[in-house]
Amino acid sequence: MSIELERIDEYRYRIARRGGMRVPGLIYASRAMARDIAADKSLQQVVNVAHLPGIIAHSIAMPDIHWGYGFPIGGVAAFDPDEGVLSPGGVGYDINCGVRLLSSSLERRELHGQVAKLATALHRAIPSGVGSQSHRKLTAGELKRVLTRGARWAVSAGFGAELDIELAEENGCIDGADPAEVSERAVERGKPQLGSLGSGNHFCELGYVAEIYDQEAAAAFGLALDRVTVLLHSGSRGLGYQVCDDSLRSMLRAADRYGISLPDRQLAAAPLHSDEARRYFAAMACAINFAFANRQMMTHFVREAVDEFFGASCDLALVYDVCHNIAKWETHVVDGAARRVCVHRKGATRAFGPGHPDVPERYRGIGQPVLVPGDMGRYSYVLCGTERAMQETFGSSCHGAGRRMSRAQARKSARGRPIFQELAEKGIHVRSDSAGTVAEEIPEAYKDVADVIEVMHGAGVARKVAKLVPLAVVKG
Amino acid sequence: MQRGHRQLDHTADLALELWGESEVDVLLAGAEGVVAIMTEGGEVEEREHRRVRIEAVDREDRLVQWLNEIVVAAVSEGFLFGSAEIALDGATGLSATIRGEPRAGERVVAELKSATYHELELGEVGGMWRARVVIDV
Repeated sequence: MSIELERIDEYRYRIARRGGMRVPGLIYASRAMARDIAADKSLQQVVNVAHLPGIIAHSIAMPDIHWGYGFPIGGVAAFDPDEGVLSPGGVGYDINCGVRLLSSSLERRELHGQVAKLATALHRAIPSGVGSQSHRKLTAGELKRVLTRGARWAVSAGFGAELDIELAEENGCIDGADPAEVSERAVERGKPQLGSLGSGNHFCELGYVAEIYDQEAAAAFGLALDRVTVLLHSGSRGLGYQVCDDSLRSMLRAADRYGISLPDRQLAAAPLHSDEARRYFAAMACAINFAFANRQMMTHFVREAVDEFFGASCDLALVYDVCHNIAKWETHVVDGAARRVCVHRKGATRAFGPGHPDVPERYRGIGQPVLVPGDMGRYSYVLCGTERAMQETFGSSCHGAGRRMSRAQARKSARGRPIFQELAEKGIHVRSDSAGTVAEEIPEAYKDVADVIEVMHGAGVARKVAKLVPLAVVKG
Repeated sequence: MQRGHRQLDHTADLALELWGESEVDVLLAGAEGVVAIMTEGGEVEEREHRRVRIEAVDREDRLVQWLNEIVVAAVSEGFLFGSAEIALDGATGLSATIRGEPRAGERVVAELKSATYHELELGEVGGMWRARVVIDV
């Protein structure tokens, strides 16, 4: 069945309510993107999410929307605490997959042709690839503390500084985690992996600030032209995947028990006040904290590796850490009144505007940094959240470029090509244990993230601050 | 052989089409498909065996749980599925003895996160069992 998109303005489209939809769909896209989006099943997924009980205002899709499972990737939905539901399919398997950005006092010219060596050093420093395992063996007690304390545990164990905590979403630790709700299998999968990148689209990227669009915001974020930066993209590894998998079964039973009709079983959900939802939230919070600790540990490994070259004076300071697969309780103004709602962001980034108390004090006059990676051959962006995002998207923005090729298509396109060499000729040194992963992640496998950013900026949901260009990339 | 698997394109993830003469055949085809993706093919040396029991919500859930058993064994423990004897108990139970290759983690070149319920199909049509499963990678 075709889904009709009504154009609202240059950057917004609407799917009118019909059938069992409880709210309309709201899609951020340019005209060209809207045509592409209609080609896969992601719009049907926006419609499916709109069927869930207690959904508020809109089923929202960001311009990097693509076909996922359950929610579309790039989907945002907020739910009423009394009528609404919690859905693991609205968070995804890689719970609290996210991005953090470090900026240094080093300028690009100071790298003095050492980028290739730095790439190799970063590859050695960060365990990466399929089933990658941590440098550090955790005891059962330590893992419990990781699950409840997140990045705070990592800093207390010597992996980072106090300031890192201040500059992370949720201060690197979400409340409500209960390790008793995490299965033995999830623990087995996650325990050896803390402090590792994983595989697929996860990466560590050394780059530089190539362009600044908003001087005041860039200065507040510690970003200056030509300064060296590091982007880290990873999540909760096997622990998060297993938490999601474990919960879906109980959610399927719960959906049946509570009479929730599911247009897609991957949307299995339970009422927010139910025991099933409480238990999933407690386990999900553990995975969220695991991911925060994971990125914090890798931050430490990056600093150690870069310090080997330039000494501690290069000062790799955390700019911010954002989550893009998460469900959280947040307060938003709905119909003129402040309400506590449960916001699901699946492949979407929080983008709180200026003045919000959850934005670190040093950024509060500007808005929250929003980190949007592109592909390994072009660029990534730093944006900041806006008041418009608070009004329209429950303080959410896009999370990346979005794939335009399947993994198989990308491999086919890369076959016979010296991808590492092609990128090195562009000044981008790629390191990976897997040529297959690099083939799947070739730049042209992704849409141009600049197009996604133009929509967010044009719609006023997030404001452009800076563009980052890669120099060295470690791929999982 | 009357069972098989085929990989289908899916923008962000991948999907497997499975077929066989029975539901057990489809489960076996799924396990073989998952291992083929994770290892990019090659012989599996069946040096060890392990037992698996599943109590599922329904047939579809049983297929998802079964595939995830194979994925987790490979990714977490380096145990590669080779073959299995599967006994089904009604529409929800399963017990199996899996023979496979232990300590083969280095052969796993593609990390799968999980089989999903998204657009999951399983059923018998014209005497053949068929399934379609989307896998998060």
